[in-house]
Amino acid sequence: MVNPSTESAIDKIDQTIEDTFAQKAIRWLFSAGGMTICLTILVAIVATIHKGPYILVNTVITGGMWALMAIGLALLFSVMNIAGFAHGEYFMAGSLTAYFVFLPISNYTLEHPESFMAYVGPMIAILAGTLMCAFLGILTERLVFKQLRMRNREGWLLNCFLITLGISIIFQNTHQLGFGADFKGILAYWDFPSVPIFGVYMSIDRICAFFIAILTMIGFYIFMMFSTTGKTIRAVSQDEDGARMVGISVDTVHVVTFALSCGLAGLAGASLLFMFPSYPTVGVMPLYNSWFIIILVGFGNVAGAIPGGFMIALFQVITRSYMGEGWEAVIPVLLISLILIFKPSGIFATKVRTVWDE
Amino acid sequence: MLLEIKSLDSGYGFLQVLWDVSFFVDEGEFVALIGPNGAGKSTTLKTIAGLVEPQGGEILYEGNPIGGLEGHLVCRKGIAFISEELNLFVNMTVKENLEMGAFTLKDPAKQAKNLEFVYELFPRLHEREAQFAGTLSGGERKMMAIGRGIMSSPRLMLVDEPSLGLAPMLTNEVFKALRTLNKRGTTIFLVEQNVGKTLKTTSRAYILEKGKIILQGKSADLADDDHVRKIYLGH
Repeated sequence: MVNPSTESAIDKIDQTIEDTFAQKAIRWLFSAGGMTICLTILVAIVATIHKGPYILVNTVITGGMWALMAIGLALLFSVMNIAGFAHGEYFMAGSLTAYFVFLPISNYTLEHPESFMAYVGPMIAILAGTLMCAFLGILTERLVFKQLRMRNREGWLLNCFLITLGISIIFQNTHQLGFGADFKGILAYWDFPSVPIFGVYMSIDRICAFFIAILTMIGFYIFMMFSTTGKTIRAVSQDEDGARMVGISVDTVHVVTFALSCGLAGLAGASLLFMFPSYPTVGVMPLYNSWFIIILVGFGNVAGAIPGGFMIALFQVITRSYMGEGWEAVIPVLLISLILIFKPSGIFATKVRTVWDE
Repeated sequence: MLLEIKSLDSGYGFLQVLWDVSFFVDEGEFVALIGPNGAGKSTTLKTIAGLVEPQGGEILYEGNPIGGLEGHLVCRKGIAFISEELNLFVNMTVKENLEMGAFTLKDPAKQAKNLEFVYELFPRLHEREAQFAGTLSGGERKMMAIGRGIMSSPRLMLVDEPSLGLAPMLTNEVFKALRTLNKRGTTIFLVEQNVGKTLKTTSRAYILEKGKIILQGKSADLADDDHVRKIYLGH
């Protein structure tokens, strides 16, 4: 027999837990992040009803890829405090590598259209682009940023900014010198007829790009949260000296971070080769987009880069379809300026702060 | 001798903080380094832990030189450093922090055993294991940092000002934990400003002033020393 007073006490506790959960949800809805996400979803739905489902489809495909780029950028910023202005060049390198790997494969599949290469070949090209960029990232870290770290006394952020600009110029001109300035693109990775999805005919390439982005994000999340290497990366991003004190080699973490970050940019570049043919400055637009994203969600906020990617993509798609191509670059810049003025820490600024900061 | 420092010079760039500092810590001892603000106590610990590069002299651990080694390599040799700033991973849960502390241990059974011991030593941490370290109170953060140090099963623990900013009750709790740890065989080298309590707890102590060791001896003897009584104990 349960004592009635105990029962009511339990009820009360249950109620308070429920209350706090509801309160939490409401508080989140009224925070800048919650409001923006809800507004984004609302706008997406309204625009889809008004202009047709292609808006949603375009948003989801490009958004995923911009999110991959932005994740890499946020990672560099949070772990190594580097403002990466050379990130678009890894996108370019990824697409260039994928192009040259895919060229012989597509020639082969033209002669043997029924071979398994028609299915697997594009994957090989995309993987090659990713690995190439990861390798280039390691090279950059060892040759440039490690040297700078060893010699740098002050002004690390500014030095990094200038160095990444320099790297960007070197990459672009190397591309122009070695491969020329013309467009090196492909018509399609997977040469199959489009399939209708919600009344929109989508090429297999676009569907695959979407799934690559989603799977990579899930894989990245699992890697960061549960693998030992992922945990060491998070540890270094939160406290470098603390990481040293528990025996983590910060140097190794830097290499891994760079490889990961540049690999993601390369993956985006390689997967979008059918939309963005490779030429020396193809990386500029993706670079700007990923910067928009990380300014929007707050510097170094890796998880926030994912919703941010979709928001920016939706924003651009809507601007393009309601105001015309020319406005696509103007409106996001306006938004970013407003965010920098009124909410410089980004819409998902984290609340957790250490005692010593206050 | 577990740790031996021979005429160590250290500092930051052109600013030399430590001048010809020598001392030693034997296996199983509880030794304190005492001194006023700015004497170089924290610099001493950071130099041993590999976060500051020594400018001269030798640091011997188990007879091998470790001076100038990087921080993570010093940690892997079995030295845990608990800094004044604590350097917790604020956006990780208490449990994740503790698990990171055992990063150098490859044996999961030993990790689990250490975790159990830390929870036994600081039951408060067990209650809060799912909470982010950044949301803990000052005393809990101190316990968290010490717990993270214990997780790597160190032979030598360097503890920097565990009583800083703590209420007397919590200070007692932290000192009690350190004593328990020492009884279990971990050598502890403690830096403190709370001189009275430190001299009661430790077996030996060194006094550091203006970057030089000016006095050393058994803690009980030092508590009776005229200089110490006048400057640090105020009677």
